[in-house]
Amino acid sequence: MDLRYSPEDIEFRKKVRAWFEENLPRKKLETFEERREWHRKLYDAGFIGMGWPKEYGGREARPMEQAIVGEEMARVNAPAGVNGLGISIVGPTLIHHGTEEQKQQHLKKILTGEEIWCQLYSEPNSGSDLASLQCRADIDGDNFIINGQKIWTSGAHNAEWGLMLARTDRRASKHNGISCIMVEMDRPGVEVRPLKQISGSSEFSEVFFSNVTVPADNLIGELNTGWRIAQTTLSYERGGNTLSRVSRLQASIDRLLEVANELRVDGTRAIDDPLIRQKIGRIYAEVEVLRYASLRLLSKLEKGERPGPEASVSKLHYSELDKRVQEIIQEILGPYGQQISGGDPAYAFDDPNVEYGDADTWAYHFVWSRAGTIYAGSSQIQKNIIGERVLGLPKEIRADRLELEEKRQAEVSS
Amino acid sequence: MDFDFTEDQNMLRNLAREFLTEQVTIEHVRAMMEDETGYDKDLYRRFLQLGLIPLPEEYGGAGFGMIETSIIMEEMGRIPYPGPFFGTIVLAGQTLVQSGDEAAMARYLPDMANGDLVVSLAFLEKSASWVPSTIEATATRNDNGYTLNGMKRFVPWGAQADVLLVAARTGEGSGPEGISLFAVPTSTAGVEITPETMLDLNSRTATVNFTDVKVGADAPIGEEGNAWPGLDRTIQRAAVAASAEMLGASRRAHEMSVDYAKVRRQFGQVIGQFQAIKHKLAEMLEQVENAHSAVYYASWALDAGAPDATLAASVAKSTINEASRHVCGEAIQVHGGIGFTWEYDLHLYWKRAKHQEVFYGDTDYHRERVLQEVLAGRVAG
Repeated sequence: MDLRYSPEDIEFRKKVRAWFEENLPRKKLETFEERREWHRKLYDAGFIGMGWPKEYGGREARPMEQAIVGEEMARVNAPAGVNGLGISIVGPTLIHHGTEEQKQQHLKKILTGEEIWCQLYSEPNSGSDLASLQCRADIDGDNFIINGQKIWTSGAHNAEWGLMLARTDRRASKHNGISCIMVEMDRPGVEVRPLKQISGSSEFSEVFFSNVTVPADNLIGELNTGWRIAQTTLSYERGGNTLSRVSRLQASIDRLLEVANELRVDGTRAIDDPLIRQKIGRIYAEVEVLRYASLRLLSKLEKGERPGPEASVSKLHYSELDKRVQEIIQEILGPYGQQISGGDPAYAFDDPNVEYGDADTWAYHFVWSRAGTIYAGSSQIQKNIIGERVLGLPKEIRADRLELEEKRQAEVSS
Repeated sequence: MDFDFTEDQNMLRNLAREFLTEQVTIEHVRAMMEDETGYDKDLYRRFLQLGLIPLPEEYGGAGFGMIETSIIMEEMGRIPYPGPFFGTIVLAGQTLVQSGDEAAMARYLPDMANGDLVVSLAFLEKSASWVPSTIEATATRNDNGYTLNGMKRFVPWGAQADVLLVAARTGEGSGPEGISLFAVPTSTAGVEITPETMLDLNSRTATVNFTDVKVGADAPIGEEGNAWPGLDRTIQRAAVAASAEMLGASRRAHEMSVDYAKVRRQFGQVIGQFQAIKHKLAEMLEQVENAHSAVYYASWALDAGAPDATLAASVAKSTINEASRHVCGEAIQVHGGIGFTWEYDLHLYWKRAKHQEVFYGDTDYHRERVLQEVLAGRVAG
């Protein structure tokens, strides 16, 4: 066991840190084009798609290198690149399952940010039960005709392309009638409607498809193999976010400690109040545990061991932890924790000297913590997966499984 | 960056596990609950003969550090082992090692390592807390040495000990200065030992009263009046080792619960199929795995002398304190009525974890400690 960073990693971190010190934008990025320009800079520096295979423009960077870049970016609150989903999901999908022509056409542009992608998976009636999706793609000569609705589409308003899971066989069982199709977002019949979240921002959209014509060549892999494609796509993002999650939480606690020095309760500084000390000690300890668990995960990834279902404990852990930490921060700050503007800078989350990050408040982090346990596999789904795949507990009796079983019995007896 | 155990460490674990599961059967554990001495001396010696001793090599140990100590303690927690290994080898052993007193180490450690001597640290007093002000026992100088007066509580295996390492004040005040450490044979006149009965019948403790106990001028261990730094380091290490034992007990309780959920049938199906049970077991797994990360990071940090070692020790103990409460408690819940029977083994793990939870710092103590370390900047580099 050795939990120090290797000399190579320390050197690498120094270089990365120096790069950000020199190249971080000096003013806030206002337009999408400005963000795309910053993305291009990150790409040229080798910080985009680091884990991608070299033959497709990546660096095959080690998980630790990816984690270090993520952490250094979080440390200086650097703006993210664009096309996150394109790089983490669409690109790898094409690499694993696309034709050479599809790869040639799209991969490089995904990396550079020239071609922005969104993910068209979830529907209003298909969230956790994604396989029940109903958006249809019917074959008509050399085209698909697409009708339906997608929801929770991140970045749809900026996207030029979307990776869609659509139903292409309505008689097959639900998992076996889905195809993976590339859809150009400016085709006639595509309508993007932004959704407003409780955070006040509009990160997600609904997307409506009315008789949208898409070339049949846009199919990825075989017809009706879309579910398997979505399940087996291996992300090249190995551990890229593990340490940055920790440093973001630590940054919140560091700021909380500064505020606790200023805030007075009954004439005493909050930092001297034993109850508040207990709460801060607790959340600091819990974030340290996330750090240890992240190093443990990175250690496995570095050795080329795929964590498999154990990774499910990770998402459950950090997303539930975020909620707990944010609640305790709110407890300590009282109404100051909910202030969005007009507050005393001494108690604010934001460093008023920071010009480039997004407007950051305690309230914003608190609100967003409620989303983390819902997206990318809700906590309840994670617990089902952990229980079944890691602990080997039998699958629950579910209405759709019973239905499938009945159907099968009927076919067998007829 | 490597979080895996070495091949040697895995072999160590296998050796410990093999011996403990084969030799320390559940029947033995239950028999020791009723036994007056509380442990089998021969079995204890035979375990020590395996050589899995985290004491310096020159004094009969294997030169193991905290990672190996935690591995051994985790395996003991899975039994749960009834005997003075933790009290003598880990707690008293570290007390001597951390004192820096080579003469004292040479005098006691070899006989501790071969099982001839049972030694225990007498630290806690009425307030049962781990801060310097707890120490009110006094050691006043006289012509031939010192006279000890005071009362110690919850001394691990105190009634079975041959020698007690006693923390007492030679100086004024109630702070860290002026605390000294004395080696006192339990046969010394004026030493009165009363066994205590605790919830965990396999973890024996005792109250020890010292009334005008005379010890020689050579009795102090380390520098007079300056025992606190060594004791503090000892408490940190004991906290991590105890955390490892609690991790072992919690893991075992979780495993039993998963196994039970796969066979127990109600309402026409295996109860593990119900989400309430499945989700509970998943949450328990998350807590066990996170506690594992914390215990072994802290063990490594202490061995490596990392800048955040003290912080990590407190993170480990506070984490397993909370985790074991939840895991062992919910294990009983998963088992339903049978989990509440004396006959079923689950309560042995629940009680072992509960016992160690309140020693070497409870959750509140360690969270305060975490904050102190953070404010002092002693965090990861």
